Amino acid sequence: MTARGRIATYGAAGLVVVVCLFPFLWMIISSIKVLTELYTIPPTWIPEAPTLGNYATVLFDSNIPRYFLNSVVISVGSTGLALILAIFASYGFARFQFRGKTYYQSFILVGQLLPTAAIIVPLFITLRYLDLVNTYLGLILVYMIVTLPLSVWMLTSYFKAIPRELEEAAIIDGASRLGVLFRITLPLSLPGLVAVMVYAFVTTWNEFIFALCFATDSSVKTLPIGLAEFTTEFNTDWGAVMAASVIMTVPIAILFLSMQKYFVGGMMAGATKG
Amino acid sequence: MPGRHTGLLFALPALFVLALLVAYPIVYTVILSVTDLGGSFNGTENFRNVLAARATPRAFQNTLWWVGGSIVFQVVLGTATAILLNRDFFGRSTVRAIAVIPWVVPGIVAATTWAWMFHTEFGIINYMLTGPGIIDEPVGWLTGRHTVMPAMIAINVWKLFPFVAIMVLAGLQSIPKDLYEAARMDGATFWDEVRYITLPQVRPVIVAVTLLLVIWALNHITTIYAITRGGPANLTLITPIQIFRLGFESFQFNEAAALSVMFFMVAMVIVALYIRFLASEGEIGR
Repeated sequence: MTARGRIATYGAAGLVVVVCLFPFLWMIISSIKVLTELYTIPPTWIPEAPTLGNYATVLFDSNIPRYFLNSVVISVGSTGLALILAIFASYGFARFQFRGKTYYQSFILVGQLLPTAAIIVPLFITLRYLDLVNTYLGLILVYMIVTLPLSVWMLTSYFKAIPRELEEAAIIDGASRLGVLFRITLPLSLPGLVAVMVYAFVTTWNEFIFALCFATDSSVKTLPIGLAEFTTEFNTDWGAVMAASVIMTVPIAILFLSMQKYFVGGMMAGATKG
Repeated sequence: MPGRHTGLLFALPALFVLALLVAYPIVYTVILSVTDLGGSFNGTENFRNVLAARATPRAFQNTLWWVGGSIVFQVVLGTATAILLNRDFFGRSTVRAIAVIPWVVPGIVAATTWAWMFHTEFGIINYMLTGPGIIDEPVGWLTGRHTVMPAMIAINVWKLFPFVAIMVLAGLQSIPKDLYEAARMDGATFWDEVRYITLPQVRPVIVAVTLLLVIWALNHITTIYAITRGGPANLTLITPIQIFRLGFESFQFNEAAALSVMFFMVAMVIVALYIRFLASEGEIGR
């Protein structure tokens, strides 16, 4: 690389880092400013009187803790359900030939690509009929639409990558199909399973529009809805909004940073088979 | 040999759940769209009502802007970032990790944070632009006729260009090194390499990602709804938000369903293109 090329490369890399990180930096800075400092012109880069007051407001004077709990229950529930369903479906697609397989695979893919807005109304009516509006189970089920398709897609490609011979040897030794799946295939595809779990958890944790439509009671509302409520009030308390944003981002950041290798690898396997 | 239906049995629970949550609502939407509140058939009345509403063509136009603007910048910036991240430099893996962050962060957090940054009086963006004199006075980004949609598009681009970058990067890494070496022997510059080797080689990835982005942009509600609710004066009203508002704010379920059906048709044409493309690349049915 020439010297000029190197400077251009580092310059561009620096720009990418700044563009990607700046909003988070500003979010954190704003979250520890006192109200008067938030509303001063010009804005200060370093808070003059750093405070945790905004966090206290969010944690003790709002519904956010409750919404946090709801988000955890719903995300864990739908991740678990998606994982179980996806393991079986992917195994079926990866290891067997059957009539209409292409058709079924396309159907699952369509689920992922479906315009969400186009089905919120009938889904709402369906959930109301099943008495599932404003319940954890209702949201967990609905989130299968957003998590299951890509989970099946990702796991199928992971299962395909495991040599068939390993399974055939076990079957000759007398193992059942399910025994093979649980004792050989699953342990070998652990990275894929982790990728699916992270993907499903992150997607449901971040999901907004279904939660907005199907969780209107504060006993089941999730964090994204809580955050949106904060900003819709007539006088938005930006310090509290930023603090709530930090609180909502932390679990995702921890999960993502610890699992990043699997997550990115799994996404690529699912979307491009890179 | 396993039985002929074993594979299908494995897939059945997932297929059942998706059929319940996807296939059934689609059928139900169609029924809703041709009936009135009491459930009796009323032909095309809902469709005519929706099409007659002033907001509908407005939303359609906005949706085109929104999708088109988002896609162009996402793909161009994402591909450029991928090419950058594929070069050899110190700290590359750290930059790669950081570049993924906007994509993983909750959409609503991105929306609120950017809304605060775009704030007319106290926003950091206006401050950074007025300081060095790039603009004379603060711009009302989220209230101005000409700025609100571009601001929304900018947020969406920021959120998703990392996704394009990761996908294209994966494609770049599978390009054989000797192609570049051969080109360099022939005296090719960096830009020659990009134009004659890199881009043609990753074209399939870019096409697939672009179609996916179009679908996502069409489905997107979070950013715009959280910041403007489609306002001011319907300037950022896109069709998905119009459907939501018809259904859940005006409770016109039947008209919302009629709009959904029309929206669905358009979206499905793009989905069909996407699936055909994947099939032609051998991704399905192997």
